[in-house]
Amino acid sequence: MSGLIRQFCNKLSSFTKCYSNVIARDNINIPSILSFHSRFYSNTPTLHEIVDPNKDKFITEEIIKNVNQQVSQGTQGRLFAVVHVAGKQFKVTEGDVLIIEGYWPPNVGDKISLDKVLLLGGSDFTLVGRPLIQNGLANVHATVIEKMLSHTKTHFRKKRRKQYKRINFYRIQQTMLRINKVEFVGQLNKPPDVSGLEYVIL
Amino acid sequence: MTTNKSLFLIPKFITTPSQNGVGRYVCQLQRVVLKFCKNHGSSRGIREFIEYDLLNFANKNPEVVVYLKPRRHRGPVIKAEYLNGDDQIVFCHNNTREEIAKWLNLLRTQSGNHDGTRLRKLWHTDYPSIQGPWTPYTFRDPALNLAEFPNEELSRPLDQPKTATEELDELFKKQQESEVAESSEVK
Repeated sequence: MSGLIRQFCNKLSSFTKCYSNVIARDNINIPSILSFHSRFYSNTPTLHEIVDPNKDKFITEEIIKNVNQQVSQGTQGRLFAVVHVAGKQFKVTEGDVLIIEGYWPPNVGDKISLDKVLLLGGSDFTLVGRPLIQNGLANVHATVIEKMLSHTKTHFRKKRRKQYKRINFYRIQQTMLRINKVEFVGQLNKPPDVSGLEYVIL
Repeated sequence: MTTNKSLFLIPKFITTPSQNGVGRYVCQLQRVVLKFCKNHGSSRGIREFIEYDLLNFANKNPEVVVYLKPRRHRGPVIKAEYLNGDDQIVFCHNNTREEIAKWLNLLRTQSGNHDGTRLRKLWHTDYPSIQGPWTPYTFRDPALNLAEFPNEELSRPLDQPKTATEELDELFKKQQESEVAESSEVK
């Protein structure tokens, strides 16, 4: 027993010696030595990269300036947007017609504004939201032009050899929307000082 | 000759009468005729609707002409006529007052008779693409235009892992580069 302990101590001391030597010599070799007990955790340094915050700043500012310039001069052309309505996403541009399925309260003739804009794009630029683009940056206006029912759909279930057969018929409520306007308002990269108060009644 | 055409729904795309909703919304229901019997029980719901709700409906929708047509011992029917010339007949046998109101509301908010058709797409656009449609060459390196085939680099599978030789080569190159850098620092 004592022999075993002595052996272990020897090992330990040799390990510590070796360890200190290595540190003195070169930092890079540490991982290979420490992999001795890396079965349970890793001592390898996490790979990292030092990012220069000013590296892309010039390019970003240039792009933002160009977009703002296009919008202020009105040369951006036709815009499109990806909007989220009643659980589905639609790519829309001015004059489009959409159908929204399921129960949806807006009534015929109502003019509504679609606020969940996930993406706004022109021929030369695209603003991608994370997940939504900044509130008040884009306006998507629509008119409800029709509320109708879909064609009769058949829900037929049958299990073979089980004397089980059911048939149901149903129709889905549909709401037709005309997109009146997709426009870029405000300036890019100029967020309001206070946000989140758009829908609060004080 | 007989056909089975009436058995199947006609597939259609979205249509809107005369760009409805571009400027303002125009109700497409032109005329509605409520046909009912004054005595029969199956017309009871429609009679109640006429008694209690019809004036409100007519007041709220001045653009819709409402006719009443009592007919002895015949089933209750709502006939709707639209601006595009369609007409639609809804049989309201034994319907309650609320059910009549719902059917009438459906007829009012529709733009025509959609019976016997199904929609193929829930989206209509005149401008399918603004940034240009996707092709296999969008977002690809233009240098590929000058590539000559057969090309060993491009013919290799994308998910092939590096061989040991290649990894060693890379290590060696890195080492050489770092040595060069160190020596330049020393100078």
